[in-house]
Formats: sequence, C-alpha cells, structure tokens
Amino acid sequence: MFDHIDPRSPTPLYAQLASRLRLAVAAGELRPGEALPSVRRLAAQLRVNPATVVQAYRDLEHEGFLEMRQGAGTFVRDVPTGRRTSERIRQATVLVRQLIADAGRLGVSLDELHSAILEEMGAKAS
Amino acid sequence: MTHAIDIRGLHYRAGRSFEIPSLDLRVPTGAIYGFLGPNGSGKTTTIRLVLGLLRPRAGDIRVLDRPMPRQAADVLARVGYVPEQPHLDPTLTVREAMRFQAAFYPTWDHAWAEELLVAFELDERRLFGKLSKGQKGKLMMLLALAQRPELLVLDEPTDGLDPVVRRDMLAALIDYVSEGGATVFISSHLVHELERMCDWIGVMDQGRLVTELPMERFKNGIKRLVVSGAPPAVAAPFSLLSRERNGAATETWLVRGWEPEMHAFFDSVGASLQRVIDLDLEDGFVELLRTFRTLPPRPEEVR
Amino acid sequence: MFRVVLYAQWKWSRLVVTLGTIAAFILPALSVQGASRDVGSPLKAGELLSLVQSWGVLYPVLAAALGLLVAIATWAPDHRGRHVHALSLPLPRWRYVLLRFGAGVVLLAAPAVALLAGAVLATHLAAIPPGLEGYPVALTIRFALAVLVAYAVFFAISAGTTRTAGAILTVIGGLILVQVLASAADVHLDLLTPVQSILLNWPGPLAIFTGRWMLIDV
Repeated sequence: MFDHIDPRSPTPLYAQLASRLRLAVAAGELRPGEALPSVRRLAAQLRVNPATVVQAYRDLEHEGFLEMRQGAGTFVRDVPTGRRTSERIRQATVLVRQLIADAGRLGVSLDELHSAILEEMGAKAS
Repeated sequence: MTHAIDIRGLHYRAGRSFEIPSLDLRVPTGAIYGFLGPNGSGKTTTIRLVLGLLRPRAGDIRVLDRPMPRQAADVLARVGYVPEQPHLDPTLTVREAMRFQAAFYPTWDHAWAEELLVAFELDERRLFGKLSKGQKGKLMMLLALAQRPELLVLDEPTDGLDPVVRRDMLAALIDYVSEGGATVFISSHLVHELERMCDWIGVMDQGRLVTELPMERFKNGIKRLVVSGAPPAVAAPFSLLSRERNGAATETWLVRGWEPEMHAFFDSVGASLQRVIDLDLEDGFVELLRTFRTLPPRPEEVR
Repeated sequence: MFRVVLYAQWKWSRLVVTLGTIAAFILPALSVQGASRDVGSPLKAGELLSLVQSWGVLYPVLAAALGLLVAIATWAPDHRGRHVHALSLPLPRWRYVLLRFGAGVVLLAAPAVALLAGAVLATHLAAIPPGLEGYPVALTIRFALAVLVAYAVFFAISAGTTRTAGAILTVIGGLILVQVLASAADVHLDLLTPVQSILLNWPGPLAIFTGRWMLIDV
C-alpha cells in the first residue's frame, strides 16, 4: 500500500502517508473497524521516523477517518458515504490539477488533453 | 535533559593535517539526528570524541548530561555504539560475543537479544571472524540494541551493505526507537536513507558544522527557481546563492530561505517566476556544500 | 565480567596453556630420568645433580615462553581492533586492564600446578641418594613467580598501543645494536652490563630467572 512513499518529494512524509490512508478509507480498501498496523510496526516497515506515522494517524483521527484507542490500536472509522465520495472527488481534483499543469509544461493544449482523456476512458470501458 | 549530545566550542587536532577548529553541535533528546558529510569531513572523529575514545584539546562535550570524556565509564553504559569497522574478537562465536557484551551492561535484554538473533538470521555458532560483512553489521546492531541504550551512536552502520541487510538493520533500529525515549545519532553517506528516518540533520565539511536544523526546514530551505526577465543586480528577500543561465530565456537561481509569498518580489522587479523546484536531501546537501566551500570563512573562524 | 574475559582469553591461549601445562608436568620427570627406584644401579649424587641442573635450564625458558605467549594472546584481539571495542565498554581503562591481567594469571596457574604435581611425583619416584633432597615446592614457587614476572613484563609492553610496544622493543634492540657495534669497533662501551646488573641481580625483577634451577639439591 505504501510503495509510493517518496522521501524526495516536497510533500512531507506524514502528509503523503496521511493522504494514502485517507484515500484507502475513502475507496474502501480499508474497511470500517479494520485495525491499522501499530505505529511501531508501520514505522519499522517503512523505515520512517515513528513521529511521522504518529502525525499521520493523528491527523486522520482529527479528520474523523481513524480512531486511536488507548492500548488497543488504531482502527478505521465508519465514514459516511458522502464523506468518502467527497474525499475521492478531492483526490481526483488533485490528480487533474497536476495533469493540467504537466500538460501545460509540455505544450499540450487543453483540447488535446481532453480528447486524450476521452479516448483512454473509452478504451478502458470497452 | 534537553539534549542527548551537547558539544560546545570543541577543538580537536590530529597531527598537522586534520583539525576541528570549533564545533557546536546539539542533538535534541529523542531525536533521530542524521549526520551528513563527505569523507574526511570529521564525522568519525566527532563520533569518537563524543564516545570518549579521543580527547579534545578544548571545549565541552556533554553526553546524556554528563561531561565527557571524564565520566565515560558511566555514560557508555547507557550508550549503544555501532562502529564503522566491526572489531570484535574474531575467535568468539556469535553467541559468545553476545555473552561477552551482556556481562558489561546491566540493562541487557536477553529476551529481545534472542528475538533479534532470529530476526537477523544469525547463526549463533558461527565465529565472528567468519561472518560476512552484512552479518557482522547486523550483529553489531544487535549488540547495540539489546543493551537498551538511551542513546544510539551509529557510524555509517550500513556502509557497503546490501539493501536487504540495510532494510533489516534500520527496521530494527526504528522498532527500538518507536518504544520511545531513545535518541539516535547516525552518520551515513546514504542520504536517502537518512531522509526517511531523521527529524534533524547536521552537515559537516572540513572539520566544521555547516548547518544543523530540523529535517523539514533543511529540505524546504534550499530551492531552485526558474526565473525570466530578472535584472542583473537584485536585492532579494531571500538568500541568493547562485544564478545560472539556461539558454536565452531563463535563469536558474539557487536560493535559500525561500517563502511562497516572496513571488511578489519578482513582480516588483519586472521579472517572472516560472517554477519553484524543490531539492531532495541529496541535492540540497550537494548544493549546500558547494556554496559553503566557495564562500569566504567568517572572521571568527580564522585562527 | 571476569568470567567472560577469562573465557575469551582461554579461547585465544588454550593451545599455549595446554602445551605449557603438559611440558611443566613432564619436565621434572625428564630431569630425573635414570634415577628411578626400580632401575638397576642408582645414580651417584654428582651425576644426579648435573643431570638435574642441565634439565633445569628449561624451567626459566618455559616460564618466559609461557609469560610471553599468554601476554601476546591477551592483547591480540584488542590490537586488531585498535582497542576501540575495549574503550567503548562502560568501565574505566584500568579496570579492564586488570580484568585482562587477572584472566592471564588464572590461566597460568595451570602450568604451575602441573609442575608441582610433576615435581612431587618425580621426587617421589626417583631414588635420591643420601645427602640430597627434593625441593618440588620451592621449585614450583620460583617457577610460578618467574611466569608471573615474564607475563607482567610482556603484558605491560603489549597493553600499550602498538606504537608504544614497538618503541620499547626498538629501544631495547637499539641498545643491543649499539653494544654489538661498539665491541666490534673495539670501543670500550658497556651499556648492557649496568642494565643487566640492575635487572638481573636481586632485587631486580629478572633475577628470578638466573641461577640454577634445581629440583634436587643438597
């Protein structure tokens, strides 16, 4: 799940981790009530500073995606559908914004980009 | 105790060639502090001074709030050391080496030592002299961790080891640190390894500490800006380290202390800021050293 | 702590100690061979004394060899690692040195005990002519002290850095070289005799090695 954690990216590691987790919950990869790995285990697994994991978990707890229960661990909360949908849409917006910026840098026009998207989506659907 | 290691005004000299003129270095308690620097910059010497293996000419070294090297014997009981070159008795087996270490440290955790032995896949009956480089590294890590130290000092512990071994060693290190309380002082060439783990970074070059700050500030501190239309001389709100032309249209500026609001500055001088490029730790490190070496030394550093 | 240091030291010097122990045991027997009660004509007093005396030369040699080899074995692993490991252990340097020294002493007790056993056995089984007596205990005590002195001297030399050890040996070598050259050039220069008399005559530490080592004497 965390293969794309990139220390070289300008985004702080905790934010990358939080973002990935947020999306996992929104997309249903992580089910309500599911236990997340302990701070200790995840930090060791990813070889990141434990404080990074703590901050990601805390941020998500603050946003209502996770619940940190003293002594028991960290668990996924039952997030309402609407919330999950808006999270996915938010992530999609981020992706699109990045795509548009990249296209602009490469000299691809918005129309060209739009056609390419439709074609790819059509190809995927069939 | 706010700092696990507190070095002030350290002066050390070895022969005629190498000198640490005046070093100030502070490792906050509980931090994972990465110590970066090119070969010969003085990292290993600094570590040896911290552990009391060398005596300074002048200055103060306090480790876990005790003066070094005066109280070395007491302090070292609470410090785990993973040296650059593993140097245990080659005639002892892994098990015998563990027993030897255990006898000197009252805080030794036998149960955990056994767990690490299994996790590191070490054969307890193998002679130390016959272990591979990676196995020696893992054993040194085991011996340092099983002691349950308050401070871990690691001198390029994963240097020359394959990625699998590196991963195992660092996972065990992070695992220990997660329990809370321990401070880690790790020097390494592998910048990206440090980038993931460390929350503080100290850079050393030619016997001097170039910079020391929290990782986030270091990573965000130096950036490349792609600029067009800027006049030759500017008074910028940030620190302009260098300017390079990219063909006719743009320049690449290397800056320090950049804040996003500063793009207004470019409008004010009639230039346009096209891009802000973040540098990863390795690039930042290289750029930092380059500028450090080309700038003249500050007056108080000249003796 | 002492136990693990002793164990480590045993691993390094077990061959030397074992061989030395065997040698110490059989040496007394060798030195009285032919004087057994069972065999034909017993040796005369003069013959026995000269036999014992000539074999007796080996005792100081064995003592010096044991002292030297065990001392080297004590410091060999530390030297290889440039003392980094020992210096990073949580105890003062002098205490570590003492642990190492003590371990060597314990190991060297074995040859001394073996000598006592062998000497007692030899004097018991030998047909000692009237007027002579066996001195197994005295011999053993002297041997033990000689081993201790040799060990202490070489231990001290080896304990320092390789540089210090090299320096000391160079000085000694230099003295000898100068002396040799001086006598070759017929220059009257006597460096070694004063040094010798200081060290080898009582109460010099090396005095214990000189003289006759007699298992059986008047």
